[in-house]
Amino acid sequence: MNTDRTIIRYTSSMCPVCLNRLPAVLERHEDGVYLVKECPEHGVYSTRVWKDKIDLEDWIAREDPLDEVQRGQCSGDCRSCTSTHGQDTCCVILEVTGRCNLRCTYCFANGGDQTAEPAYEELCAAIEDIAVQGRGPLIQFAGGEPTMRDDLPELVRYAKEAGCRYTQINTNGIRLAEDEEYVSRLAEAGLDIVFLQFDGCDDEIYRKLRGTDLLETKLRAVTNCDRYRIGVTLVPTVVRGVNDHEIGNIVRKAAELFPAVRSIHFQPLTYLGRYPGAISGDHYTLDELMADLCEQTGIPEKALLPSRCDHAMCEFHSTFMVSSRRQLIPMTDRAYDTRRERTPADRNRQYVAEHWSRDSSAENALNDAGSIDGEFAEYDPGIPLVTQSSESMDFNEFTRRMRTHTLKISAMAFQDAMNIDLERLYRCSLHVYEDGKLLPFCAKYMTPARH
Amino acid sequence: MKCCKCNVEMIEKKTTFEYLGHEANYPVLRCPVCGQAYVPEELAKSKIAEVETLLEEK
Repeated sequence: MNTDRTIIRYTSSMCPVCLNRLPAVLERHEDGVYLVKECPEHGVYSTRVWKDKIDLEDWIAREDPLDEVQRGQCSGDCRSCTSTHGQDTCCVILEVTGRCNLRCTYCFANGGDQTAEPAYEELCAAIEDIAVQGRGPLIQFAGGEPTMRDDLPELVRYAKEAGCRYTQINTNGIRLAEDEEYVSRLAEAGLDIVFLQFDGCDDEIYRKLRGTDLLETKLRAVTNCDRYRIGVTLVPTVVRGVNDHEIGNIVRKAAELFPAVRSIHFQPLTYLGRYPGAISGDHYTLDELMADLCEQTGIPEKALLPSRCDHAMCEFHSTFMVSSRRQLIPMTDRAYDTRRERTPADRNRQYVAEHWSRDSSAENALNDAGSIDGEFAEYDPGIPLVTQSSESMDFNEFTRRMRTHTLKISAMAFQDAMNIDLERLYRCSLHVYEDGKLLPFCAKYMTPARH
Repeated sequence: MKCCKCNVEMIEKKTTFEYLGHEANYPVLRCPVCGQAYVPEELAKSKIAEVETLLEEK
């Protein structure tokens, strides 16, 4: 870390050891932007949070710092908090089991460490509470590995009936690959979206991160979801030195598997729950991910937009129309992304869920063939992945394709004990249900740093 | 319908509309002399509004 520094913003953080709230500052150094904080008991901590691959001030230009009242409302201790949170709920995660059929190197939920599991009735009560508190949210069933439960389809159905607008499972895909009847039951129950852990197209990566070969399993899971028209989002955990070189191949695979795969949601490694050793001082930052994504795919950087629902430093998103040759046409452009106001959580939820799920009625009704599958040529690795020119089409065709032919690429950078910024936490719309409360994701899984 | 500037009969023609960097076309009445297009209110409130919303929401 260089000593030549400029202060960008004052904020608040937490001590990585005692988790007490601390004043903090975002400082620009020669090699990026650092979050710096000092605990009177445990000392000074400085963590790089941005590498200036994209100008941070531009990226967060519409992200007002918390005012004095808001700062007073956010202690970082969400379990005991009774103050107002800065954003409503977009998605609520419900852990339905602690069991898991993998033992991953990194796992924010410490999956597989517990065998206890809530009873079906207990989960139904939680679902009802979530539907009310989250005002008809997107509910994500997680764990552990949620497909360890035979009654997951019944829980999905219960959530739909209780008023959760969209249902999603966060899964490693093993059971979806091996048990087609289970996939059919999930589809019949109304499951909209599968969040499929997908770290790359090379088994070496799965051996390192998940302990076993999994690529064939993942592809079978996608095929089975496609058969029952459940939208798949590929969710890569990106770890520097393990699969940061694989980002482009993951996007190419998504283009090849479209429309079975509707989106990719990258998650740079965060030190929450289970991780080997101590927290690395060198986080794989959101802007580093964006730069690698653009370099490895040809996607123009301006196609990536900061979140206006969550904090800009937590997320980017982008939308592409998929051409008949499986090329990606950017539909998003930062030049046109000038809206000042925040996106309400319910609007964000509807937008992402509609893009992540498969709109069977649109896919079937607006095409004479009864399916859009035949509208795409075989994937051709010889042509550029990204193109700027779309095929000429009329309004009817354009609106149809915007609903059925779009691939979303987004990312969420979670926070750990080193890089936690309460300005970001305060605006979090991704919540985890715990004992009747909706906790922001990073607060729920916050783990004191090991040194 | 006649063009209000040129006073000649307008003819239907496939016309490209551009919004937020994207293009889509639709047949509307155009003046063969000055090129002015007539966009009926119904079209503006239905298909054009739908395209605009889809592009703004992304």
